[in-house]
Amino acid sequence: MSNFPILAVMALFMGAFINSLTGRRSRRVGNIVVFIAMAIALCLMLALIPPVFIEGQVITYWMGGWAPEAGWAYGIGLEVDALSLFFGLIVTIAVMVSGVYSFTYMAKDDSQVNFYTLFLMLSGSVLGLVLSGDLFNIFVMVEIMTFSAVALTAFRNDYEGALEGAFKYLVVGSIGSMCILVGTALIYANLHTLNMAQMAAMLPTQHNTVLVLAFGFLFVGFATKAFLFPFQPLAADAHAVAPASISLMISGVLTKCGVYGIIRLCYGLFQNIDTAAVQYLVTGFGCVTMFVCVTMAFNQHNFKRLLAFHSISQVGYVITAVGLGSALGVSAGLFHAVNHTLFKGLLFLVAGAVQHETGSLDLDGLGGLSKKMPRTCLLFLVGAASISGLPPFNGFASKWMIYQACFAKAGESGNFFYVLVCVVALITSVLTLASFVKVAQSVFYGQLPARYNDVHDCPAAMRAPIWVLAALCALLGVFPGFITRFFLKPATGAALDATAYADQMLGGSHAASAADFQLLGNWSPLVWVVLLLVVCCAVTIVAVSAKKGMAPVLEPAPLAPTDREDVCVAPENAKYEPFFSGEESEYSQVGGSDLFWGFKENWRKYFSFWHRWHSGIVNDYALYGVVALAAVLLYCLLFV
Amino acid sequence: MQVFLDVLGLLFKVFFFPGLAFTLVVSFLLAGLDRKLVARMQRRVGPPLLQPVYDYLKCLGKETIIPRKANRAMFLAAPLLGVASVLVTALFIPVGGAAAFSANGDTVVVLYLLTLASVTVIMGSAASGSPFAGVGLSREMVSMISYELPFVLVLLAVGRVAGAGTALGVTFSFADIAAYQAANGVLLGHVALLPAALAMLLVIPCEVGQQPFDIDEAETEICEGVLAEYSGHPLARYKLMHNVKMFVMSGLFCALFLNIQTGFLLLDGVIFAVLCCVVTFLSMSVPHAVCARFKVEQVFKFYWTIVAGLAAVSLALVWLGL
Repeated sequence: MSNFPILAVMALFMGAFINSLTGRRSRRVGNIVVFIAMAIALCLMLALIPPVFIEGQVITYWMGGWAPEAGWAYGIGLEVDALSLFFGLIVTIAVMVSGVYSFTYMAKDDSQVNFYTLFLMLSGSVLGLVLSGDLFNIFVMVEIMTFSAVALTAFRNDYEGALEGAFKYLVVGSIGSMCILVGTALIYANLHTLNMAQMAAMLPTQHNTVLVLAFGFLFVGFATKAFLFPFQPLAADAHAVAPASISLMISGVLTKCGVYGIIRLCYGLFQNIDTAAVQYLVTGFGCVTMFVCVTMAFNQHNFKRLLAFHSISQVGYVITAVGLGSALGVSAGLFHAVNHTLFKGLLFLVAGAVQHETGSLDLDGLGGLSKKMPRTCLLFLVGAASISGLPPFNGFASKWMIYQACFAKAGESGNFFYVLVCVVALITSVLTLASFVKVAQSVFYGQLPARYNDVHDCPAAMRAPIWVLAALCALLGVFPGFITRFFLKPATGAALDATAYADQMLGGSHAASAADFQLLGNWSPLVWVVLLLVVCCAVTIVAVSAKKGMAPVLEPAPLAPTDREDVCVAPENAKYEPFFSGEESEYSQVGGSDLFWGFKENWRKYFSFWHRWHSGIVNDYALYGVVALAAVLLYCLLFV
Repeated sequence: MQVFLDVLGLLFKVFFFPGLAFTLVVSFLLAGLDRKLVARMQRRVGPPLLQPVYDYLKCLGKETIIPRKANRAMFLAAPLLGVASVLVTALFIPVGGAAAFSANGDTVVVLYLLTLASVTVIMGSAASGSPFAGVGLSREMVSMISYELPFVLVLLAVGRVAGAGTALGVTFSFADIAAYQAANGVLLGHVALLPAALAMLLVIPCEVGQQPFDIDEAETEICEGVLAEYSGHPLARYKLMHNVKMFVMSGLFCALFLNIQTGFLLLDGVIFAVLCCVVTFLSMSVPHAVCARFKVEQVFKFYWTIVAGLAAVSLALVWLGL
């Protein structure tokens, strides 16, 4: 049992090497190797569920048998408590889905063997990161992760902006990695250990300036990996050009490493989350991130760029909840983290399917695809409802917990700041919904441009992984009690109980206990889902019985092939052409990107400010990163 | 036997009182009353009180036309889902002390179900493929963003007052709000909540889509916008949804600020219906008769400055313990 974690990480890394040896001859053999590697990792993680989540064990493994001597850890250790395993499960499930999707999605690309080698390196490093019990090891994994992600971002380097996006990611990502390295070095210089369990035992008793700076460095480092504000432009540039399955990995898995790092840092290592200053820092970062990114999404013309901003906005939710420092907050954050991986993965894969079939991601040019890709459209609607937090999907269940956590925090502390946080979260949710209506209208509904008349639904092999994600979205939304009881409570307990983490690794016997918290409302979605269905059926029955005397419904006649749209106006105006009697020169306030004219008109100064801010110049982005680092360090010195 | 009686009781609550039957009767009544009142204020005779019922039945008898460019399934399913979601919302609104359905956190459920209703309108019009509907849905979107902020602030302010005694200091449950009002008098008498009540009165017409905030349907500009392509059965369903929304929103105001319990279920129902009429008059008929339609950007500005400001003042006062 204790060697399961290392075997899971090794399976992925070995898969990468074996794939590069065998996959060059035959892609089929390569794919089988990739699949087996992913399946082994997933099965090993699943096998750890009973001991860790149910019995509350902490699995430890010392590399090379270098067990600690007299309370000092010399070797490199892996430590899997419920929190690590929670993220390990997110990672392995996302990797599985992404890999299976890639088999069809990437089938026409060349040099696939490099793709899968990098893909498995990425997967292995992320899994290694969340399972590791050693801070320097985490830095190593972050480096492998960043570099393989950069290479994968630019994998389709014939795309416009692919190399540019990868380059920005490389430069600013390196600033983040550097921060983690400096933070680690500062801690090592002070405590003479790299083992996280030992740090967790020593750090809370020591408080000096150097350690506070180390906290600041590590926080900014992990924030970069989660693409929190002001690092969000990177995510947008990388997502827009990366293959869809890699977008899933970046948004669903890589950002989770940042989230995991921040939870470990604040709850496990420094255990300073119960001070008000740290709560303001983390919640403030999350809050700004979720609001700025969701408004940025309003201005996007590219499907995946839009999704990228939403992805970071949802990570903002997670960080906000985590920063509250309460058991309910951590649970809500963890729940939203897993939901984010599911619905965001789903949406990126749908975007990939649209791109695969139409060759375009341009929101202004697409339209009416629901007729040509009905199944993909259905999946998209599930994802859009989930991310907008519409019941009965999972987004609602976790956002509902986040609102409760904010308000409970406000009630306990009597601090108006958390009421504002709650309001911002609710408004962000509405803006998310609005933004996805735009996507639905611009991609799947509205009028079908003539050039997409022979588009058809994507292959079933590509839809299958999306269906898995959609099913999980619905299941987690309808049965939130299940995941709360069996997964969230143990994981939250592990996050909050740092002594157990420290003790178990160094040979003690302090057992972790599951966290206990009271939900404001015992939200039982099943009841009113049934209710909604019953009322729906009732209305349908009434409608059908009244239909007898009614004229038959007109069948939609087959579209007569007209080339009018091609002749009269430019294709990008075709959607709204009848509205202007075919005149193309008039300004339309309804073009895909201008759907929210009334909203944007009032906020034009805000939007033009952010428009200038996202300059697209890597120097600026690096500067923002450095400024953020300086600000956080100053804040830590003054207040933490 | 006991189980049988319980189920029977629940069915009665869901289907008759205070459930679907009561909802439908009061909804049509409110819609008719609104039209009549507006007409009288404009010195017209106005239609008979039951005109909305006639309109509904007439619509049902008409042919349903589905445009060629429409996505058939979504075009037809959207009105159905919209009606279902507002009817379910109505089940959560307490009449006097009792709602057909009650759950902890039902104020947020109501908030979300109302959003869902707006989303179905939007999806239906998007599916129709008409450019007029495209403009309409963009406006519906803007009005949704507009009223959502003050609406949330009002719910938080009321929840804070009614939940002051609970462990978490806030409540999201209609049952708690009703219990608080039964013990301490109606919340409209709470001075700090007066701005919130005013804000809620202003939120109602926008949420329902009543003039002067019906920018999404503006028939003279964009040919009924979101409803441009609808006819027959689906249109009838949208009209029904509109009427039920009037009931839900005015009922929500009563539940939040004017919940009166006498102990007699029927009397409660009558009082509730009368209060709903008053709220409808104040929040929907008067603005309709007095104001011309707002511009799109004006609606947004109005709600995010004045209305949200009123609600925020209430929330701040309540938070300071006034």
